[in-house]
Amino acid sequence: MSEMTMVQALNSALDHLLGTDKSVVLLGEDIGKDGGVFRVTDGLQSKYGEDRVLDTPLVELGIVGMSIGMALTGLKPIAEIQFQDFIYTAMDQIINQMAKIRYRSGGDYTVPMVLRTPYGGGVKGGLYHSQSGETYFAHTAGLTVVTPSNPYDAKGLLISAMEYDDPVIFLEPKRLYRSIKGSVPDKEYKVPIGEANLLKEGNSVSIITYGSMVPTVLNTVEKNKVDADVIDLRTLLPLDIDAIIKSVKKTGRVTIVHEAPRTLGMGAEISALISERAIDSLQGPILRVTGPDSPFPYRWEEYYIPNEKRIMNAINRLQTFG
Amino acid sequence: MPEDNEERNKYIKAYTAMVLSRTLDKKIVTAQRQGRVGFYTPTMGQEALQVGASMAMEPNDLIYGYYRDVPLMLHRGIPIETIINQIMGNDSDKAKGRQMPSHFSSKEFNFMSIQSPVATNLPLAAGAAYALKYQKKNNIVLATFGDGSSSTPDFHAALNLAGVYDLPVIFLCENNGWAISLPVEKQTRVEIWTKAEAYGIKGVKADGNNFVDTYEKVRDAVKRARDGKGATLIDAISFRMGPHSTSDDPAKYRSETVDEGSEKDPLVISGKILKEKKFLDDKMIEGIKSRTAKLVEDKFNECEKIPAPDPSTAFADVNAKLTWMLKEEVEDIL
Repeated sequence: MSEMTMVQALNSALDHLLGTDKSVVLLGEDIGKDGGVFRVTDGLQSKYGEDRVLDTPLVELGIVGMSIGMALTGLKPIAEIQFQDFIYTAMDQIINQMAKIRYRSGGDYTVPMVLRTPYGGGVKGGLYHSQSGETYFAHTAGLTVVTPSNPYDAKGLLISAMEYDDPVIFLEPKRLYRSIKGSVPDKEYKVPIGEANLLKEGNSVSIITYGSMVPTVLNTVEKNKVDADVIDLRTLLPLDIDAIIKSVKKTGRVTIVHEAPRTLGMGAEISALISERAIDSLQGPILRVTGPDSPFPYRWEEYYIPNEKRIMNAINRLQTFG
Repeated sequence: MPEDNEERNKYIKAYTAMVLSRTLDKKIVTAQRQGRVGFYTPTMGQEALQVGASMAMEPNDLIYGYYRDVPLMLHRGIPIETIINQIMGNDSDKAKGRQMPSHFSSKEFNFMSIQSPVATNLPLAAGAAYALKYQKKNNIVLATFGDGSSSTPDFHAALNLAGVYDLPVIFLCENNGWAISLPVEKQTRVEIWTKAEAYGIKGVKADGNNFVDTYEKVRDAVKRARDGKGATLIDAISFRMGPHSTSDDPAKYRSETVDEGSEKDPLVISGKILKEKKFLDDKMIEGIKSRTAKLVEDKFNECEKIPAPDPSTAFADVNAKLTWMLKEEVEDIL
């Protein structure tokens, strides 16, 4: 066990994966000598060589496309897109190649690979270094979408993702890269894909959240002594529907907290699923606390990201029902 | 002479594949007009260049093709049934009719499943070539695409990556002069093979109507790739004799035509080459044509009797493990 940041935990997972399987290769921009702009891959190129930790030309669709070809040919690539905001030129590769190859080949060809990318705001990155685009991926059949909220899950989920038979989009909440530390086993371990984590148990409200918003939600709940279930989804596609419904049936009140814009965000889907399966248990409306439907601002990012006040407003409003 | 025999067999195999492809092509187009097939992208005019390229490939080389590669597939040995079953989307199609016609896949013959978005196969081909090089295998990758693809960001990305990493990959531009309705002169201001220089890879122009010329140029590129000397862009010039697909009428956008059986028809050119080499005479050519016509007719009728796949297969193979959402949705549909 060591106390690690999420960056260190991810580095430890990558080190483990590279060290145990020669077919694992890393590719991305500035991930070699520079160790990536967030230093997640620090020291790995000097340890494993330039042919296993590739500094690629500046071409996101090429990074993704090449990774797909590698995965089809027996390698296990872990690609890094420097910022999720820059992934869009590769969306054709992700949606039309990566996600559809198993389906269109009748299972003959598969793409076991991991695509890592940092997302979310709070690091003074403005509109092009702060986006939370998880919905774009979660709307695509064939993909699996994962996001850790702490160092332990980051390492365990990444190791699980590498054993997955299908492509995994691995979204890293960059605000949490270094802002929290946690105990992380030095050895290999797995955090299962598709399973949410009930971080705190309570009876009066279910707060469903994930990734970058988890520490904010936990702090809010603890500080205000809210009797809440706090669910960290960890996997966004497919959702852990059983964990969500079980909690909702117990509390009867739901708020969903995410940083991405409200319209058609994960909250919309979760809300619809709850209404389809547990409407009889609900004592009030399902409230979403999310980022607004605007680009992510540079100067006033604290107004964009959901905060304690807005989360408490939703919780207090829910307490007036039932 | 054994050496002569080897060449003779090779050339006859090539010519036979071209005739088979042409015959099948016409059969499918006719069947489409009769409402027996939904859609097709005819290959007429590109037989010589594809067969020429295929002649230079080994079975363990990887093909990352596009939706107009039937001659290459047939020469590679992919059974005609695989092609017809895919066109029909019947129960014997490995992908169970999920894809439009012309989107083939044959892992057994290392022919990667075909996509619609043009040139998106090219970065994959670069990645596959990287893997082969990394694994120290002696195999190479052949990626095919049309002249329109040369305008895409994927083309640029793939050729640049192939240059940077010195990859064993051949980019074969099946330059048929037309991207649906846009002539190649309006696609790009330069000849496509010259673009190779910008990426530090070799660029070669081939006469795509002459299978021997294309074969020799691809063969040289294959040798360079196997010898670790990197990638090649080959611009094989031919002519799309038919429409882009069964859904358009070229008379609307072009006046230039190449009629079947005319001097510019690559099948006529190929027949001449075989006759000059004294590998075939007119009678033998007629024999190949009539045997092929019967084969195509028989196989087509056989495949047409195969039933449709079960509707549940339309929603299978999305993930290794069926998600709960899809399970629920399919239960609702069926």
